[in-house]
Amino acid sequence: MSRYVLKRLGLMVLTLFVIMTLCFFVIRLMPGSPFDDPESSPELEALLEEKHHLNESIPVQYYYFWRDIIADGYWGVSLKIEPNVPVWKVLAGRIPVTLVLNLLSIAAAIPFGILAGALSARTAGKIPDRLIGILTVVCISVPSFVFASALQYGLGYRGGLDIIYNSAGTAAERLRSLILPVLALSFWPIATICRYLRGELLENLNTDYMLLAKAKGLTPSQSLTRHAMRNSMVPLVNVIVPLITGVLGGSLVVEKIFAVPGVGGIMTQAISSRDLWLVMAVLVFYSVINLVTVLLMDIAYGLIDPRIRLAGRKGGAA
Amino acid sequence: MTEQKKTKKNLFVFANRPEPAAGGPLPGKAASYAGDALRQLRKDAAAVAAVAILAVLVLMAVFAPDFNEYSYRRQLLAEDYVNMPPRIRGLTWIPLFNGHATLKERQLSSLSDTAKYPEGCVIRTFNERTVRGIPVADVEVDYYLYKGAGEDVNFWFGTDALGRDIWTRTWRGTRVSLLIAFAAVLLDLMIGTVWGAVCGWYGGKTDLILMRICEVVRAIPNVVICTLMIMLMGSGVGTMILALACRNWVGTAQLVRAQFLRFKGREYVLAAQTMGASDVRIMSRHILPNAAGPIINRAVMAVPGVIFTEAFLSYIGLGIAAPEPSLGNLLAEAQGVLGLYPTQTLFPALIISLMMIAFHLLSNGLRDALDTKTY
Repeated sequence: MSRYVLKRLGLMVLTLFVIMTLCFFVIRLMPGSPFDDPESSPELEALLEEKHHLNESIPVQYYYFWRDIIADGYWGVSLKIEPNVPVWKVLAGRIPVTLVLNLLSIAAAIPFGILAGALSARTAGKIPDRLIGILTVVCISVPSFVFASALQYGLGYRGGLDIIYNSAGTAAERLRSLILPVLALSFWPIATICRYLRGELLENLNTDYMLLAKAKGLTPSQSLTRHAMRNSMVPLVNVIVPLITGVLGGSLVVEKIFAVPGVGGIMTQAISSRDLWLVMAVLVFYSVINLVTVLLMDIAYGLIDPRIRLAGRKGGAA
Repeated sequence: MTEQKKTKKNLFVFANRPEPAAGGPLPGKAASYAGDALRQLRKDAAAVAAVAILAVLVLMAVFAPDFNEYSYRRQLLAEDYVNMPPRIRGLTWIPLFNGHATLKERQLSSLSDTAKYPEGCVIRTFNERTVRGIPVADVEVDYYLYKGAGEDVNFWFGTDALGRDIWTRTWRGTRVSLLIAFAAVLLDLMIGTVWGAVCGWYGGKTDLILMRICEVVRAIPNVVICTLMIMLMGSGVGTMILALACRNWVGTAQLVRAQFLRFKGREYVLAAQTMGASDVRIMSRHILPNAAGPIINRAVMAVPGVIFTEAFLSYIGLGIAAPEPSLGNLLAEAQGVLGLYPTQTLFPALIISLMMIAFHLLSNGLRDALDTKTY
């Protein structure tokens, strides 16, 4: 197993290298200089560019870029938004907020999704199942930012909950102001989990061991929770982990709507003001999240299905 | 022997068939794959409703921006038609479309001033109170009369903060969103099909290298790819199409490859090869039609995802930029005044939600009708 994980980790680092190279060249080929300001003199611009090595040829810059990261762990400083502050320091306050928002949404979604999925499977074809089915389609289809607007209007302006993120408040107040964004983001994962679990449970309900459970006198609900659920929970990991990347996309907008000071807000600013290394850091952040989720998935697969982790040893996969 | 490459059809005769089969040919027409799927789909009420909704939305997206005389970019600032509430003649009995608006905290004494409040524009006053000794109230007014607009001025969805007609902008935005979605999915299908077909058919080293490239592309998150494309090419419709197809094709390629692997060993492929059919002909005429079901299904499934991504990129200001509307940037503009003018958010939000629901229902129906299991 450790060998399998190591191999996956190696691949991950390689992929990250490719992504960062791609990002570097796109960022450097992007038209416009970060110091292009009509109010500053050309000499000052030249000086600033020299200071940040922006006047060198692109391959030389590329060399500096990697040398700094590998030798000094130096990822560059923000050029415009918070000048001369190391990029990760700029993001340090924002990454936890984004992560908390996203993970809370998914954590909140899991119990509701499981409950709805179980209820739906239990009443398959009857009215509760039909209702949940309609709700599922609506929740999967309607974009999270539409939910966000609706919630902000209905529960915020009309209902008295916090309209925007309360960044000055105490921890409890901040958490309270996260209710609406979390709610807006959790509809989609709830529906996704529910739909998946329903399908999985229905498949399990027709198996022999469910017949046995019935034969030994368990009620349908008992056999569902004690036998069918257990077998359906394991593959659920493969649905929940990719939800993280899905939710992260919507959270860019939801953060904007509720003025949550997360990574999403700074990304647009960094791009439009040509804050090169900050853009790089944000993109690396999103890539790493994606890669980590893929890695988690691979590990989960490996744990669940021994054939996958053994495939590498025989050299069959490569 | 090799000179006779082309075989004529009449050279083939049935060896062991002296007379037609007993009972003659079967009556009726044979059900084709597509016909069968269509029949299945027609039985699915949700899918039929989805098709109807989509048809209406597409027709509206094409024609509705020209239904009135306002343009999507003309700002009616001179007339001061800013943030007008929606009004539709004939539908004014619906509260949403009666063109009324509530003005907060107005002095009661000024209400009789016809220079400020034209004759008959005050519908009712409520919430009467005194602020700093002055009696004030919230006033519901006929906003069109209040602004001095005539009977023939009707903004069906209202106007935005710059005095632009939201009806025209919303439908034009729908058009842009649909156009981007269709084009991006088409591009995704074209690249993915060719890529997957080559991988699946040729196999070996070609397959290995091409699939490794797929894996790397797949590992880059959508947000990152779209951002990079937009930084490189600037925002706009063309960029959005490219950016959205840029990663999605990998899924299509993997799907098509799997289908090719499944079918390339079949007897009819061997038969075609023996008869000297070229690789391209076998791939396009013999194998691809068999993979059509899953590909079509994937295409329809991909559309809502693309619409969502486009909308959220435009929302955060990376996608389609003003003055060109898209559902995303319309919602972003309306968001700023949500508390005051919720109808500005309502219509684009309704349309994008309807569109997404319809595409999801259609893809659910198609999945059942084509009887393909995707993922």
